Amino acid sequence: MENSSDDYRIQSFDPDSQILLKTALKDPSSVNLEVVSNIIVDQSLKDAAFCKESGRICYTIVQAEANQNGGNVFRKHLLNRLQQEFNPREETRTRSLQEWVCFVTFICNIFDYLKVNNMPMVALVHPVYDCLMRLAQPDALMNEEEVDCLVLQLHRIGEQLEKANSQRMDELFFLLRDGFLLQDGLASMARLLLLEILEFRAGGWVLSNTAHKYYYSEIAD
Amino acid sequence: MSYRTKGSRGDASNLENQHRSSGSSRWSHCRKRGVDGTLRANSDEDGDNRGKGHARSDSRHSSFTTPESTGPVSRCARRSDWGSQVEDEEMRRDVHRDMQRYRRRILAADGAQRERKTSSGSSGSCDSRESDGMETDEAMLLRRQKQINYGKNTLAYDRYIKEVPKHMRQPGIHPKTPNKFRKYSRRSWDQQIKLWKVKLHAWDPPAGARQEGAQETSLNDDIEELDLGDVMDIEFDFPALTESQNTSLCTHSSSVQDQDCGGTPVKVQKTELPEEADMA
Repeated sequence: MENSSDDYRIQSFDPDSQILLKTALKDPSSVNLEVVSNIIVDQSLKDAAFCKESGRICYTIVQAEANQNGGNVFRKHLLNRLQQEFNPREETRTRSLQEWVCFVTFICNIFDYLKVNNMPMVALVHPVYDCLMRLAQPDALMNEEEVDCLVLQLHRIGEQLEKANSQRMDELFFLLRDGFLLQDGLASMARLLLLEILEFRAGGWVLSNTAHKYYYSEIAD
Repeated sequence: MSYRTKGSRGDASNLENQHRSSGSSRWSHCRKRGVDGTLRANSDEDGDNRGKGHARSDSRHSSFTTPESTGPVSRCARRSDWGSQVEDEEMRRDVHRDMQRYRRRILAADGAQRERKTSSGSSGSCDSRESDGMETDEAMLLRRQKQINYGKNTLAYDRYIKEVPKHMRQPGIHPKTPNKFRKYSRRSWDQQIKLWKVKLHAWDPPAGARQEGAQETSLNDDIEELDLGDVMDIEFDFPALTESQNTSLCTHSSSVQDQDCGGTPVKVQKTELPEEADMA
């Protein structure tokens, strides 16, 4: 499968890193995969656009390495680095909302793309829920970027997450419902986003036609 | 007492460390993969870069332990880093998938065999092993799979399977991977693994092909990585064991085997051996 490297949005990397990434995609055993995983994670934490799609390049490198020599060095380094970023997430959030949002987007993207025997990685289920639960807290719901991030992730991986652990999904949605109904000072956009996600899940992770029209069509006034 | 410590590094041991960073024993070049999973370079070109990429200031592999260092996570306890958790999860899924495949094969074979049998009713030797029932204990299967993986993670195994396709294998001459689904006692299984790995050594790459600076599994890395059941593996960093060496190592290892996971005595003993070999 001939994927131009542009598909992976690596233009935002510096030229040397771009070369390294392109090599990693074709010939993983010839590069230092720990370095590769670090530059991908570093970029994902800075670049709001890249973190939404970085799961794909990671997936491709994992596959390439597995096919080339059956190894999973890249995956291991990636996951452990992810864990290192996950542990101090509260500090990250305090320090930089943007980095926190990028991190959540990134870890959800990894959860989406990196599967084990076509099943989501069990090790990531609780951490992902922890992140989403944090986004559903009252203080986070006041920030549009965080609400935005939350609903985007639920659209992408909500169904898989629920299958992996439905109890925690219930808990998450208790928080969302409470937030929508009870929280003062919630921006109207935030309210709308929450309502949409509540309907989305209630409909089995699919938006009914009428709901879609309600939320997404332009109303000519 | 010759613990290796970070502090006590004189010139002599520095030399040995350079030696060690390329592989703590003469036979580390037989390992296909270092303990962290990195594939050994077959050609030397990037070996140095890779080695340096991982180098700590003392150029020792990061999983080498001394009493003073923090050491790696014990393999006896569940590993808490995500990389390892996912690896374990993958191995568990693979084992379950293997189990299903094996069950199907047995059922198919059973059916065929019943048709062929006459009313004599006597079981062939193959029959009795299958009819004892399959090993299904997950922990046991995982342990056995790990032991098998260590054997397969060698250049010898790679060369062997390239050289001898499965249908050309002759029983007795060509090593055959032990069947983890058959019921065996622990000692019997460990012995089969041991013999299998000894046989595989016949396909070791020639000693002249040693590489410098590549990622290596040191003998001591092996110790960290192994469950106690894999302790037997340690002796196979030595080439062409003679019978007497084999039995003496056997006796030693089998006494260790029954201990709990707690490896300091084992590590100490095993640490000494390659040193002595190198200094010889």
